[in-house]
Amino acid sequence: MNFFKRAWLNVWAKKGRSVLLILVSSAILMFVLAGLLIRSAAVKATDQAKADVGATVTLSANRQAAFKKMQNSSTTSKSSRPKMTLTPVKLSDATKISQLSNVKSTNVTSSTTVNAKSYDVVSTSSGMGSSGGGPGGMKGKTSSGDTQIDGVTATSLTTDFSNSQSKITKGRGITAADKNTNHVVIEKNLASQNDLSVGDTVTVKKTTGKKATVKLKVVGIYRASSTSSSNAGPMSTDPSNTMYTSYTLANSLKGSKYAGTADSVTFTVSNPAKVSSVKAAGKKLINTSSYSLSTDDASYQTVKASMATIEGFANKIVWLVAIAGTIILALIVILMIRERRFEIGVLLSLGEARWKIVAQFFTEMLMVIVVAVAIAGAGGKFVGDQLGAQLVEQSTTNQTVSSSVSGQAGGQPGGGMKGGNGGPGMQQTTNTKKAADTNLDIQVSAVNLAELGGFGLAITFLSIMIASGGILRLEPKKVLIS
Amino acid sequence: MLKTTGLGYWYQDETNPLFQDIDLTFEDGQSYAILGHSGTGKTTFLSLVAGLDKPKAGDIWLGERSLKQIGLTNYRRHNVSIVFQAYNLFTYMSPLNNLLTAMAITGAEHAGDKYFAKRTLNALGIGEDLVERNVQHLSGGQQQRVAIARAMACDAPLVVADEPTGNLDEDNTKEVIDQFQQLAHQQNKCVIIVTHEPDVAARCDHQYRLENKQFVKLA
Ligand SMILES: Nc1ncnc2c1ncn2[C@@H]1O[C@H](COP(=O)(O)OP(=O)(O)OP(=O)(O)O)[C@@H](O)[C@H]1O
Ligand SMILES: [Mg+2]
Repeated sequence: MNFFKRAWLNVWAKKGRSVLLILVSSAILMFVLAGLLIRSAAVKATDQAKADVGATVTLSANRQAAFKKMQNSSTTSKSSRPKMTLTPVKLSDATKISQLSNVKSTNVTSSTTVNAKSYDVVSTSSGMGSSGGGPGGMKGKTSSGDTQIDGVTATSLTTDFSNSQSKITKGRGITAADKNTNHVVIEKNLASQNDLSVGDTVTVKKTTGKKATVKLKVVGIYRASSTSSSNAGPMSTDPSNTMYTSYTLANSLKGSKYAGTADSVTFTVSNPAKVSSVKAAGKKLINTSSYSLSTDDASYQTVKASMATIEGFANKIVWLVAIAGTIILALIVILMIRERRFEIGVLLSLGEARWKIVAQFFTEMLMVIVVAVAIAGAGGKFVGDQLGAQLVEQSTTNQTVSSSVSGQAGGQPGGGMKGGNGGPGMQQTTNTKKAADTNLDIQVSAVNLAELGGFGLAITFLSIMIASGGILRLEPKKVLIS
Repeated sequence: MLKTTGLGYWYQDETNPLFQDIDLTFEDGQSYAILGHSGTGKTTFLSLVAGLDKPKAGDIWLGERSLKQIGLTNYRRHNVSIVFQAYNLFTYMSPLNNLLTAMAITGAEHAGDKYFAKRTLNALGIGEDLVERNVQHLSGGQQQRVAIARAMACDAPLVVADEPTGNLDEDNTKEVIDQFQQLAHQQNKCVIIVTHEPDVAARCDHQYRLENKQFVKLA
């Protein structure tokens, strides 16, 4: 391969020009790599989000239908005050839905309140609590107790715990094995205020029926989420007064007719993309006039949307830079060919095939590109890091704003994790947190380098092809007769 | 042996060709000089003989085959060596690599033989101290000798040169012409030189003048 040797002699003899070409190519390839890195990081983050964020389908009473019924009855019988009756969710329905494919786990939620007997509740003493009448005012109006009981299948399945906003600090959380037990997980502040530790027993008084007292055994202590305390609103009691138990215990505290029911049941879907198909399949299994299935994949959608934005942008970078790079390199090669027309003329006069002359130029550029890929590989991570951080910042702010607006407008059906007080605002806060946590993990992998090499090769090939028109048209006679 | 039959060429105006109906024969082992006023078409004629362009009329024959049959690229590669007034060499190479490259492209008998290439250069006065130096650092006369050495190292039976001494002083001119004569007489090549210098022409075996669209043999 004689053209190969010529290419090497040329690149070596014209070191200055070669270095310049390497610098230009490195700059082009560095931007290509930055785009590739951001793109692959976005893909990875989206995959991660699928696994992490998890989307849920929640089975709860059909509030809309109940509200309609209430309105209808109020028009027919004007005498009695209309009452909205919500049918508790039947666990038998929940079992059927939990057996659908793609349902990873099931969390039964049943909330109630009790009154403290053997301990003192934590009174809200933070700055915000001082305004207004405080929690005391609310207590009289409703029949609720001072202690919130959140019955769950397992604490780890609740949003607060899976988001790590609440954390078990001592002992353990509630698990499925705690079903039909009197085990309870209490908040750190409540525990320290009452000198309670794991293994102790607390006594509470029911708010319903004969207001009997019930003994509960502390199996774990948790630290409440900071967001729930700041977002709980004026009506709620201090979050430290929330205890987690098995949903069976919550049901029995509510009264015997609540056995085998729940406020809501949340199904975690293994693949967030399958949420709507699970919802559709679940709808066939329940009486939709009494119950409704709602989906919450907002977190996933937020992450997905922001990552899609980044991915789209990264794709544009890759292609724009690749195209611009090809044009720049092609122009350089065209100039180079003009400058080297005597050399080409001598080659042609020696009877060298034109394609071999093109091959020589291609080989020369390839030698340059190989070095440039190495340089870009070293520098691309830096550029990618900078760009990635900027992009995440920008797109998550955009996404959060748009998602909270839509969340407010759409309004989410109640019956979330937090008993009655989890409105849309609360749900949104969680999403914002999640999205902001999403970082782009920029790493130069062998695949990235291979891709970069591919782009380098393609750019070189295309630019030489564009410029080679000059070589193929060049008349040796015109060059030599000048 | 190179022969032209009814050769004619024009650029734009077919009714006013540079030359027409040219029937010439160039023998192996002989040197030919072509003289003529500027603009008469000497270079154009040489480009046809060198296979750099196609005739507008007539044919050129190498032995029994026409250039058309041989194919111009093929012809340039195997049958003709070209020496120009300037820009003969690969500027990014040493004299040695210039020869090796040309030998490789043309598939010469001694292709790849470094020592043969060196001996050829040495014989033309390019000493050991110069063979590995970049050709851009050689004088005009030295560069021209490298171009002639290249023609010698390749096996082509025909050597054409356009004003090969145009840039050279008297001493260098004399030396270069001596070497062309060697090519013809010692290597049995057919050498055709275009020149406007009567002294150079006089040292060749045969002289032609291009005037009035015809080649006139000088006595
Ligand atoms: N590509 C071209 N297109 C049109 N006319 C051309 C072209 N090349 C040369 N000519 C014309 O053809 C004529 C012959 O040119 P050529 O170069 O063969 O002359 P020459 O005998 O070599 O002259 P000189 O002694 O000055 O080198 C000139 O009049 C020139 O202007
Ligand atoms: Mg001329």
